[in-house]
Formats: sequence, C-alpha cells, structure tokens
Amino acid sequence: MNGRGDMAWCPGCGNFAIRDVLEEVLKELPIPAQNVVFTSGIGQAAKMPHYLHVNYFNGLHGRSLPVAAGIKLARPDLTVIAYSGDGCMYGEGGNHFIHTIRRRLDITILTSNNQVYALTKGQSSPTSDPAVKNALDPQGNQNIPLNPVLLAVTMGAPFVARGFAGDHDHLKELIKEAILFKGTALLDILQPCVSFNKINTYQWYRQRVFKMEKPLTDRCEAMKTADLWGDKIPIGIIYLNKEAESREGKELFRQQATENDIAGLLDMTCVMMR
Amino acid sequence: MEFNVLIGGEAGQGAFSVELELTEILTRLNYYFFATKNYMSRVRGGHNFHMIRIADHPVHALRGGQWDMVIALDAEAESRHKQNIRDKGIYLAPASAREIEKEARDRFRDVRAANNILVGIVLSVIGVSRQILAEAAKPENLEHLTAGLEFAQRWNLAETCPVSPKAVCPCKLDGNQAIALGAIIGGCQFMAGYPMTPATSIMHYFATAAQRMPVHFEQAEDEISAINMALGASYAGIRSMTATSGGGFALMQEGVSLSGMTETPIVIAVSQRPGPATGLPTRTEQGDLNFVLQAGHGEFPRIIFAPGSIDETIMLAAKSFELADRYQIPVFLLTDQYLADSVQLTDEKIPAAAQSREHLIFDNTYRRYRLTADGISPLTCPGLSDALVKVDSDEHDEEGKITEDLTLRTRMVEKRRGKGERLLIDAVPPALYGYKDAGTVIICWGSNKLIVKEAQEMLAREGIETAVLHFGQVYPLTADMIAPWGLASKKLICVENNAEGQFASLMKRELGLDATHRLLKYNGECFTVEELYQNIKQLLSGRS
Repeated sequence: MNGRGDMAWCPGCGNFAIRDVLEEVLKELPIPAQNVVFTSGIGQAAKMPHYLHVNYFNGLHGRSLPVAAGIKLARPDLTVIAYSGDGCMYGEGGNHFIHTIRRRLDITILTSNNQVYALTKGQSSPTSDPAVKNALDPQGNQNIPLNPVLLAVTMGAPFVARGFAGDHDHLKELIKEAILFKGTALLDILQPCVSFNKINTYQWYRQRVFKMEKPLTDRCEAMKTADLWGDKIPIGIIYLNKEAESREGKELFRQQATENDIAGLLDMTCVMMR
Repeated sequence: MEFNVLIGGEAGQGAFSVELELTEILTRLNYYFFATKNYMSRVRGGHNFHMIRIADHPVHALRGGQWDMVIALDAEAESRHKQNIRDKGIYLAPASAREIEKEARDRFRDVRAANNILVGIVLSVIGVSRQILAEAAKPENLEHLTAGLEFAQRWNLAETCPVSPKAVCPCKLDGNQAIALGAIIGGCQFMAGYPMTPATSIMHYFATAAQRMPVHFEQAEDEISAINMALGASYAGIRSMTATSGGGFALMQEGVSLSGMTETPIVIAVSQRPGPATGLPTRTEQGDLNFVLQAGHGEFPRIIFAPGSIDETIMLAAKSFELADRYQIPVFLLTDQYLADSVQLTDEKIPAAAQSREHLIFDNTYRRYRLTADGISPLTCPGLSDALVKVDSDEHDEEGKITEDLTLRTRMVEKRRGKGERLLIDAVPPALYGYKDAGTVIICWGSNKLIVKEAQEMLAREGIETAVLHFGQVYPLTADMIAPWGLASKKLICVENNAEGQFASLMKRELGLDATHRLLKYNGECFTVEELYQNIKQLLSGRS
C-alpha cells in the first residue's frame, strides 16, 4: 500500500479518514478483495480506489454509475462499489444517479460530499450552500443545494444513509452495512475540505450532526428527516426498505449462445420500424 | 424476369405489414427478392412507401426506373407514384384498396386481413397458384391469401408478370438483424443502448434474443450511459457493444476516448442518417464517416468497418468483437438507414457457433498495462484470481495507477500507437468485382456495394468494361490493401451517399489516390441501379 505521501489529497483532507475506514472495512468484509470492484469518476474523491487494495475502473467525470451498472449486470458475482465526490456523482453524473436508483441493482454508492469542487480549486458544487462565494460565484451561489439523501429517498432507493468523515467507528459500520445490503445503497459522506470549504469544517459538522437511533422505514417520515439541514444534520441510516427487491443480473459469464440459439435467431421476426 | 412493386400509404395503413408478409412468404416460396422502405418520422399519417423487387435471379438493390405495379392505399400514394408505372403496368387505386378492406371486414371480420389479401394479389400476379400457396402459407393466413388470389382472378391480374422461384434454401434478414446476429455469433453478450432511428431495431433484435439465450440488453438513460455501461460490462469480462445513430454517437464520444485510454474492448454500431443535428431521422446518408473517424479526444487506434451486404454485415460484426478483444480498442460498424431497412436474402452459410473471449488467469503480480513488444498487454477481468484489474482514464503506469511521469507517458503513447501499427496485418482488403484490368474503377464503401455492382453489370452488358472496388474496412487504409489493383494509373469514380465525398478525401489522405469523379447523392435516399448506370455511363462517354 502507498504511503500517504503518494496520495493526491491535501494534508488534513477528509478523504484520508474515509480511506482508512474503507481499508479496515475491506479487510473485515466476508468478501475477498479480488471480488470487489470500485468504479469512480473524476475529482479528488474519485482517486480513492487508487489507494485501496481492490479492482477498479477509474473512468470519466460523472460516469462511475453507468460503469458500475454495466459491471453488475455482466457479473452479478462481483461486489460493485461506485465512489466519487459530490460534483461527479450529483452534478456531471446527476442523471445517472437518478436512473441508477431506478435500475434496482445491488450496488453501493459512496459519495465524498465536501460541498465544493476541490480538484478544480473551489467552485460551487451541486451541494454548496446558498450564498457561498468563490471565483465563479463572486456574488455568492444563487442556486438551491441538491439534497442527495432526500432525492434518493424520493426515488425509492431502499438504503439511504449519511455518514461523517469525522466519526470513524460510526462511518465504518455504515459503509459495512451499505456494502452488505442487497440492493442499491446510497451513503453520502460529509467530508470536510480543508483547502476550499472554510465553512463546513470538522468543527462545524461536529456541532450539528446527530445519529439516527434506528433507520426509518416509513418513506414520508424519512423524507422529513432527510430534509433536515442546518442546525441539525442527521447521520446514520435514514431510510431502510428491506422488502424492496433488487434486480438480479443474468448469468452471462462463461455462458455461450448455442448453435440452436443461433439457428433460432434466423427465424426470428421483429415487427417494428427502426 | 423480375417484378417491381411499390405499395404506399399513410403510416399505420398496412403497407409495412404487406411488406413483412410478402417477404416472409416469398422466402418460403424460394423467390429471390430485395425490399426496402421510405418512411416518414411519424407513427401515424404522412406518406410511407415500401418497394419490393422480385426476380428469378439474385437481386440486392432497387432497380430504379418505372414500377411494374403500384398499390396506392391513399390519394397521396396515387399522386406520387401512379405516374411512375410502366406502360401496361398494374395499378391498384385507393378505391380497390377500399374494396379489399370491405371484403376483409365483411368476410373475415378483421380489417387487418386486407394486408394478406393484398399479398395474395401480388403473389397471384407473379404466378403463384392456389396449390403452391397452400403448401407455403401459414395456416392462419391461408384463407386471406387465397381471397387475394380470387381478387386477382376477378381483376384479370393472375399470372400477368410471372417470375420463377429459383432461390435455394434462402434466409431473409435486414441489415440491423444481421448486425445483431453477427454480434451474437461474435460472442457479444451485452448491449446497452438508447433508442434512436435507424439503430433501434438492432437493440430490438438483441433484446428479443436475450429472452432465449445468455445475452443481455439494457436500455440506458442516455447514450453517455449506454457506452459507459458497455465498457463496464466489457471490463467485467463480457464482450459488449452499443448501437446508435449520429446524434447519439455525438454523446458517446467521451466513451470512445475512454475505450482508447483504458484499452477496454468495445464494438459500436453507428447507423447513419442524414444530419446535421436531427436531420432526416428516417432517411439514409453516409455523412458520418469523418465524424466516426475523428470521434474521441486524444490519439488511439480504431477500426471502422462498413459492410455492404447481409453476409458481409454478419461476418464483419462477428469479426469486430474478435479484433476489439485482440487489440483492446474500439471497433466501429458504420452502416446506415438504407442497409438497416433493406431486407435481403442470403444463401451463404451463416456460422452456427458463437465465439467467446478467452479468460486468462494471472497471479497477484498481474499488471493490466504491462509494456510488451507489440503494445498489447494481457487482458483479464476481475474475480478470477488474486490478480487485481486496475484501469484508469488518467495516464497510468503498468499497474493502472494514475501517473504524471512524463517518460512513462511517452512509453504509454507509443504502446497504444504500436497496437495501431500491429492491427494493419488484420486489415480486411477491399473486394473487386467486374473487370480487374478495366481502366475505370468505381470505388464505393458500405451499403452502396450491391447497387454499384449491379450498375457495373448493366454497363458490362453493353460492352462498357469497368471494375468495382468496395471497401468493407474503411479505416485503417493501407497500401497493401489496394496493392493488387494498380489503382494509381486508373480512372477512379467514387460513389458516396454524402455531399462532400468523405471517403474520396480519406483515400487521398491515406493512400494518395485521387478520385477523378465523385458521384454523390445526399437527398436522404439511396442510389438506384438505373440512376448509377446512367450517371456512370454519362461520365464515361465524356458528356459529364
């Protein structure tokens, strides 16, 4: 494993804490590392898989989820985890975020949410608070922030959680549960950015986060809780639907169309225009 | 002998059903035929027409010129096509169509029976008897078809243009079906796509096949997702593809580049329609050659196939997967609406066995981008051993880790380029038809092949000797591919369905060959044999 010096994050970055947790989780999971695949996009958080002992497909900005869906559909035997930051997952990849939840695949979505574009040096992200100022928003951010947790509950994701990089043990349990949950699991991780987000600091979060006593199972109630932000920020599993059925990919690997299958194709008529 | 029939009407009036039923039964009756369609981008109304050429010899293109029979289901069809009937040709007016519809309703209590009655009439015209029909028709259609024969008798149309059935065990496929079939033979087990005319039916065939065999179709939320899903599936060890048309492909470009950088094999079918932008959604063009050639930022190797017949489509679609895997690159199948919507017979033997990817097993010293002499690093997928498979869209080291080591960058660029040089040995050479020593060579690529070939045969019958050179692989182009034909000293006429002569320009750039003439058509329709014959004849007689 690399020393921290090889990692492309700033000293004190919340991603270090998350990486340490992930490393422990991967060691403790009842799944061999060779069967775990990370997909990621682009950004500081998206570099995460490079610093873990796993398979990975570090693709393009915003596209960690389509790649994850392709892998899971092709190989249901693999444990698939998509990892990226808020800009990648909810901005460039926002459409994929919505539709991946609709696909009901057994994949885990982990987001380092620092409410800022860090790699490009401090612009507003989809989750930035209103009025924050930066080079591209000199008058202050004019947009309403996207609430990924609320959105995921609304879309019907069966496992929706929020973690905090500053709470090692709590985050560790959440990541474990998210990965072991059978179905689409979103875990949005509050990740302080020490270089570009001077507001949402470790201290700022510590003063505000509170732990869910137990997951909510009523979706309307979960939406109300998911909507909380500001003075009180819930962390933990916010919504859990154990009844939701996830979609099973088809057995494709090392399977083959037979000669009969191919002969059958020659008699197949499809009545449609293009 | 041959018989050319056009059936036209509003979308939803049944002309397409007539084409489907007619071509189905012609195949069962061992007739040679070719069918294609001209339709509008709407679900109901408008004006669509279907063209079927039935012959006692193999035909693979529209003849052009006048029709032997026109069936007009509405006034629009009458006003457009009636004047193009040959002398003593057959015309079924909208009034006749209404009479048939009434019969369908009164006698069979099903207005859709009218379609098969029309099919029966056409069959009777070309000489199909009640007895032969009874042997070939599906039992549920027989009564309706027979009613068609009765109409033909009553209207004195029976056997007025007899054509003999001479095909042997034919198989009927359209271009998109051939792509899906070829892909499955090539071992493709995963397709992701977003519907777009004229590529949608590739997905439809694949999705239908997926109900019966170990393949999967996933409808993506957009084309960006589609290509990324296919790359994910390919990374996971499954041969994968996506299909789209120009506008959708515009969205996929970043994925093409991603395939180039991560060296993830993928096959991309681009079924062209006229652009720019939305263009003419249901018509044909070969306008995206330059686009596909240049798609994706950065430098990386690619192969572009442009098949010209059903057999070639199956063969090249299958081969695409083998080459995509061997060189770990994107491979393109560049077709168009004309090929997609044309129904042709194939009597070539279709390979029965599906190929598959070989999965190599490595230990934990595996490096996905190991530098090798030929630039090709051993490919495997996750979960087979403790070899971890790490791929990265950033420049990376041999292990797949992000790097900014510029010496390594140079070596990785050269590694990817090296594959490009290596794949030249697998180049599919162009096919030559006609007189190989002729001073004039008609160059074509993609779906124009069989139209040009038949025009050349017409010219030959008049003593005008030419050769046709068809490129099924349009990129890369190498000197070796054309070495046998001595093209440098010949008069070259390049035939293309676009306005710029994109292939002629590519040939100039890659091979240094000048096409003295470019025969171009860009109104959204394919060439006809008659049209090309006239144009080429005129060019050669110096009256251009």
